[in-house]
Amino acid sequence: MMSYFTHRDEKRRQVALEAVSSTVVDGSGPEGPAGPEDALAGPARSLRADAIRRLKKNKLAVAGLIWIIIIILIAITADLWVPRWLGDPVAIDSTTAAERMLLSPSTEHPFGTDKLGRDVASRVIYGARVSLMVGVLAVAIAVILGLIMGALAAYYGGLWDAIIMRTADVFFAFPYILFAIVLIALLGPGFQNVFIAIGVLGWPSIARVFRSSILSVKENEYVDAARAMGASTRRILIRHIMPNAVAPIIVYATMSVGGAILTEAALSFLGMGVQPPDPSWGNMLNDAQSFMLTAPWMMIYPGVAILTTVLAFVLLGDGLRDALDVKLKE
Amino acid sequence: MAPLLEVDDLHMHFFTRDGVVKACDGVSFTLEAGRTLGVVGESGSGKSVTAMTIMRLIPEPPGKVVSGDIRFKGESILAMGEKEQRKLRGDRIAMIFQDPMTSLNPVYRVGQQIAEPLRLHKGMTRKESWAAAVELLDRVGIPQAEERARNYPHEFSGGMRQRAMIAMALACGPDILIADEPTTALDVTIQAQILELMQEIQQRTESAIIMITHDLGVVADMADHIMVMYAGKPVEYGPSDEVFYNPLHPYTWGLLESLPRHDVDDKGALCPINGQPPSLINLPPGCAFNPRCAYARPECLEAIPPLVEIENGHSSACLFAGDIDFICQFENRVKRGDAGTGAGE
Repeated sequence: MMSYFTHRDEKRRQVALEAVSSTVVDGSGPEGPAGPEDALAGPARSLRADAIRRLKKNKLAVAGLIWIIIIILIAITADLWVPRWLGDPVAIDSTTAAERMLLSPSTEHPFGTDKLGRDVASRVIYGARVSLMVGVLAVAIAVILGLIMGALAAYYGGLWDAIIMRTADVFFAFPYILFAIVLIALLGPGFQNVFIAIGVLGWPSIARVFRSSILSVKENEYVDAARAMGASTRRILIRHIMPNAVAPIIVYATMSVGGAILTEAALSFLGMGVQPPDPSWGNMLNDAQSFMLTAPWMMIYPGVAILTTVLAFVLLGDGLRDALDVKLKE
Repeated sequence: MAPLLEVDDLHMHFFTRDGVVKACDGVSFTLEAGRTLGVVGESGSGKSVTAMTIMRLIPEPPGKVVSGDIRFKGESILAMGEKEQRKLRGDRIAMIFQDPMTSLNPVYRVGQQIAEPLRLHKGMTRKESWAAAVELLDRVGIPQAEERARNYPHEFSGGMRQRAMIAMALACGPDILIADEPTTALDVTIQAQILELMQEIQQRTESAIIMITHDLGVVADMADHIMVMYAGKPVEYGPSDEVFYNPLHPYTWGLLESLPRHDVDDKGALCPINGQPPSLINLPPGCAFNPRCAYARPECLEAIPPLVEIENGHSSACLFAGDIDFICQFENRVKRGDAGTGAGE
């Protein structure tokens, strides 16, 4: 056993010398090259790098991600090229409207035109702006509310837990769409109120997921260890519990974006969402109702846009779930 | 001067729906700087609860300190505010947990976690604490500490994680190190290394250690004093050698006897203590050990025997401490050639 100690002492001197000579030791830590002679563990990678690598292996999730990126790029750059190339999505040129309405897809109008002679492709692209904005903003509201509520309920328990979770149950007790319609009837239709309504209705699910996630993380010994090292309740909650509990929220939020887009489409279809003449995939479908057989392109393209975008978010969320699961090692 | 740590007639009870669980019921001991106390007992004997109470890690409710006091350098920990307690925890009193697999946070680099108490208590910057963490890792025998500090816990083996936990506990140079079964989750060779490391550290840092274990072998050559606990109460307390060579409580004797022995040609089964530990809600009348005790007499049922000093510094909570000639069940059994019922004569 003595040899063991002397060996280690020598090692310590060596490392101490190295520590002195190397200038920067950064706490946040760059990816260090792993010692090749180290048999016990693999190379040092961050959990994030690990997750990204696992996500890349999932073809469907990557496809979803690519599709989302494409739609976002198109929506952001729309002003630069869409009106010039495809025509304005809103304005009606009354002199030429009669001859341009309900044209089937052609090179000039790749998705055809609608009953007022506007280009469907242009409207679908501008509709993507609405859908993505509603999706992201609504989920952002839901996530912020849900995280706060879920954390309060889980960490403080008792009365807090009872009040918050019973309130959530009240939200669950009403049919979702019906509740949204009622809220919008109160707030008045329009883009802003749509995402507010969807966001406010979304928090109970997030709070529930986060609460159960925290409750299971809380039982881990490293939470006790953090307390034993003298960390405050707030520090434990923010630094030790939250990072371990957010993975399901990331997954759930991603999928919820798809759900919010769908809800927006449904509300707009019912006339409660984005108001004409502004385009949204939902109100375009509403417009297409009477022309389903005579001008099916009016219905098909916004429908396909909704389908693919929602699907893309769900596939990405699914991929993230597998990628973020630390225990699911290959 | 007041001793480093004084636990004075501590009663920690849990108030549950089924009744009051007296998990820690009248524990007293003192710990001097640089000394090691071994706390031994079966699962559910209250060893961990005692340690967790000292660290104030037990959620209240359901737990509640009904009476008694814990004093650190003469100052009552129980009377302190949360903030003062926090200053003590991790800085002056640190704890090593049982399962190194779950006691490191999976989302942070090992170095970051060892650095955390230093940043909390010593006000070190990120850079300083990282350098200190690397040094600590090296001191607990992790090779290539500088690279290893950048690893995540899942890249460490069990023994290495426990070394990292020890490094974390040692970070601020605590006066007291509480180790709650630090070697239970490790295999035997690693156990020996970890124990050796702890001894080496103790010699260097002069910190006191409370070693909680259910394995007498673990404390045998580490502890200065040993406290044997049963059903929430200390049943025997004394200098390590005294407890081992001259046990004064039948329970201690039973524990010693249930150890595997390599000095006897053992072809039979081990010699366990019969029965099961009692429910802490519903203790048997009198001495809690009497239903399992081979030497129980009618008097044992009458009152709860107090822990009394029998001979210099060696106390026992058996009414007949010193009067009983313990019978070696093991030799009995070998002679009789049966499976060893463990019953006394």
